[in-house]
Amino acid sequence: MKAHTVMIAIALAASAPAFSQWLRYPTPGIPRTADGKPNLSAPAPKMPDGKPDLSGIWVAADGKYLPNLALDGVEVPFLPWAAALYKERQANHGMGRPSERCLTHGVTDFDALGTPRRFIQTPGMLVIIFEAYNHWRQIFLDGRPLPQTIQPVYMGYSVGKWDGDTLVVDTTGFNDRGWLDDGGHPQTEQLHVTERFRRRNFGHIDLQLTIDDPGAYAKPWTVNLSGFNFFADQELMESICENEKDVQHMVGK
Amino acid sequence: MRHLLILLATLIPVSAQWIHYPTPGIPRTPDGNPDLSAPAPKTADGKPDISGIWVAVNAKYLNDLAADGINVPMLPWAQALYKQRKDNMGKGRPSERCLTRGVVDFDTIPMNIKFIQTPGTIAVLYEEYNHYRQIFMDGRPLPKPVQPAYMGYSIGRWEGDTLVVDTTGFNDIGWLDNNGYPQTESLHVTERFHRRDFGHMDLQITIDDSKAYTKPWTVTVAGFRYLPDTEIIENICENEKDFQHMVGK
Repeated sequence: MKAHTVMIAIALAASAPAFSQWLRYPTPGIPRTADGKPNLSAPAPKMPDGKPDLSGIWVAADGKYLPNLALDGVEVPFLPWAAALYKERQANHGMGRPSERCLTHGVTDFDALGTPRRFIQTPGMLVIIFEAYNHWRQIFLDGRPLPQTIQPVYMGYSVGKWDGDTLVVDTTGFNDRGWLDDGGHPQTEQLHVTERFRRRNFGHIDLQLTIDDPGAYAKPWTVNLSGFNFFADQELMESICENEKDVQHMVGK
Repeated sequence: MRHLLILLATLIPVSAQWIHYPTPGIPRTPDGNPDLSAPAPKTADGKPDISGIWVAVNAKYLNDLAADGINVPMLPWAQALYKQRKDNMGKGRPSERCLTRGVVDFDTIPMNIKFIQTPGTIAVLYEEYNHYRQIFMDGRPLPKPVQPAYMGYSIGRWEGDTLVVDTTGFNDIGWLDNNGYPQTESLHVTERFHRRDFGHMDLQITIDDSKAYTKPWTVTVAGFRYLPDTEIIENICENEKDFQHMVGK
């Protein structure tokens, strides 16, 4: 754990230039208290069709799940090969994960990552643009089904539907090269991730993840992550990962 | 041209295929085909809606932004650097090392992009590098100098049916095109997007960079054609795989 913390600190230090600063600009149209501060406990806003609107800039409430999605002591039902690979990655301090080489994160480690991201919700889709890597993700909300087969990718193919006020997002189409977290929980092309986003109030989104990957785990397992806090009056900044600058700082066997 | 072919060949995995899914809500002819000559759609407030998946009509301007023969008013140092980059067949540009492109070369690369227009922001998702850009439409001013960036900071406004986007805050590392027209932190790019009809968007670009050029210069690039019934796919640039294929001095 200590080694992971060191690695994260190094990774963050290497990816954000020392002189970087977020641009301050008052977020238009958000609820404010009498003194002009964002009112984070105001009710969650709604779209014209009455569904919750998740739009805004968000940051993980706590980065603690990035090193280990199962931090809270959930028993992860590894298949033997996955347990062995996870042990090897742990012993190697997580060296070798795709994000260290500027490739990208996937759905679950982006959900746990403590850097800002913006949700842009339209009637047909939810787009997430991440500060890290300058990458994007699309979640289709127009009722389309998950495709039968797609080119396996890091971010998969996501469709979402509303269950009351909770947005339930199903994602398949993953490759087997991504890691579920920096600690190295493995995934295969059979991975099916279900995310449940609930904007509890203006300032907070709760997030629960279910990992269903019969190629790596004996049964589905579910974790509650820290969710996101609204990041008011600031903007995302450009963060282009510069290849091979982090990798030389990684320590491992 | 050779560079482009090499680049495209290495970026797209052999097994890649775009997903075919009928784009919901687009105009179609009686036989079900997309009606690309239908009028451009409008947003609820009556402005043109440029949302959709688009691709540059050709690659001509990616290689040379001034391909139509306009006189580019380079300052001497910029002229010398441009000549050096051209003689070196464009080797050394940021895109070859998986960094990214900037506003201008993303506008001219014939790879799929998606515009998502909301009342306050237009997000542009690029298939290449899986990168994005934001254009703020909420009336905010361009900020005082920000952290210089490849993509800069963009604000847009409507002039009739034309979306006029001003961008500043660029770094001096980016190249305006693959051949290597230079840019400095003084660069101010103005793009004029006009969705002529459902299927076509015209684009004019003005380069105003007084540290590299004696006066602003304007080019009409190929613009975009609408891509129906498909989706953008993930395209993560794998570091250093292109780099080794580049040829130059």
